[in-house]
Amino acid sequence: MKKFKEALESGEFTITAECGPPKGTDIEEMLSHAKHLLGKVHGINVTDNQSAVVRIGSLGVCRLLSEMGHDPIFQLTCRDRNRLAIQSDLMGAHILGIKNVLCMTGDHVSAGDHKTAKPVYDFESVQLLQCVGKLNSGTDWEGNAMKGATNLYQGAVVTPESNPLEPQMLKFEKKIKAGANFFQTQAIYDMDNFKRFMDRARKHDVKVLAGILLLKNAGMANFLNKFVPGITVPQELIDKLKAAGKEGALDAGMDIAAEQVRIIKEQGLADGAHVMAIGLEDKVPDILQRAGIA
Amino acid sequence: MIITKAKEKGDVVATLKDVKSVFLIGCSECASLCGTGSPEALAAMKETLEAEGKKVTGSMMAKTGCQVLGTKVELKPAKEEIDAADAILVMSCGAGTQAMVEVFKDKRVYPANDTTFLGNMTRFQQFDERCSMCGECIIDKTGGICPVTTCPKGILNGPCGGTNNGMCEVSPDIECAWAKIYARMERTGELDKMREIVPPKDYSKKLSPKVWVIEKKKEEK
Repeated sequence: MKKFKEALESGEFTITAECGPPKGTDIEEMLSHAKHLLGKVHGINVTDNQSAVVRIGSLGVCRLLSEMGHDPIFQLTCRDRNRLAIQSDLMGAHILGIKNVLCMTGDHVSAGDHKTAKPVYDFESVQLLQCVGKLNSGTDWEGNAMKGATNLYQGAVVTPESNPLEPQMLKFEKKIKAGANFFQTQAIYDMDNFKRFMDRARKHDVKVLAGILLLKNAGMANFLNKFVPGITVPQELIDKLKAAGKEGALDAGMDIAAEQVRIIKEQGLADGAHVMAIGLEDKVPDILQRAGIA
Repeated sequence: MIITKAKEKGDVVATLKDVKSVFLIGCSECASLCGTGSPEALAAMKETLEAEGKKVTGSMMAKTGCQVLGTKVELKPAKEEIDAADAILVMSCGAGTQAMVEVFKDKRVYPANDTTFLGNMTRFQQFDERCSMCGECIIDKTGGICPVTTCPKGILNGPCGGTNNGMCEVSPDIECAWAKIYARMERTGELDKMREIVPPKDYSKKLSPKVWVIEKKKEEK
């Protein structure tokens, strides 16, 4: 199986999944989920204190996944680090053999479990992308020469369902200008909306992986609609999950995700799919199989 | 103006635990407009402290409490009342309180308020934060709306994924700064400027403590 960058750049339909490190040092369950994904995904994201909740750092977990045989995508946010720490972590990623970095601003601390913390945001996503470019070219942010450059494949995120959309699109273009090679989108469910987004994204020389978030039940879908900005689950899908009942909801959710991946691949809507299963990563191979991806 | 909030009564009383007598100082500027250092606030504080068994030896409304020399002069007539007090309780901002710390070298000086932000008075006794005094104004690039202050993440290059029907994910009471900036720059025909990448802030400009001396201009003859 090709590595993430190689697959994406070759034009192969690229699959990535996502692992959220746990809070605490017992990482066995996460690693066992990751093992299920070996040979099934081109890359695997490791989240960075996702939702501003303290967890194991993404860099160390990326290294473990790399040793397992994965090609990790190091998620790096600007919430917890100033520009010094960001650069040292990026160089650290390079020497640990990590090849990909996803540059994000990061959820605000008010969303997490340390609400009294000082949010950093010395950089934000656009500037972080520029920073990776500089380190790749052999100088630090200030232009000081480095002994050995990094070689990181940098990407970013975009929210196709953002409301209002225009400011988001303008930032999308800025991220490309700042050096983003690829985008992984926020979860999308409405294919017509996504098509419209992709029509605009396709005007740029950049790869896009559609964000597919596994719906576990109707309650989760309602929660997303109510509380998560930029995600809209259409009523039709909620009805499907409801109709499947308590026992069958997850299976129905897997069908929905698989159908999305299949459509995106068959219709060439995007360059790949980023499948987020939030703790059910062991289900991802099954979803891919249902989507017709071996 | 500088926005202050009165500390909880219990906290002020706890601060004055070891003190029997107090002299109160208010401020006619920002703290009066905030109702935290006005004559009415001073009267209410006097009542509170007396109910706690403290003696209030006197009080004074400073014209501009952060103006050290002027306030020192204003305090002269109250010398006896001040001498009789174990401590000074300052009902203004942190700057006004520390002005009094500077004046009273050997006397305890305590704050009655929390100093919160530089605010615009948008309605009577409603204050909104628009500027965080970063030392490097960039609102020429952002439609006159400061994202450093009005975006909780201080993002300089556009909205994050948390913009929610024009509101902010951090609180439904906060408008998304970037939705506002975009709308305004569209109206003013400046969207092209919004396409330019804004570099990170120069935080050396924000380095504390700051000192600024305006040199007197010599008259040209």
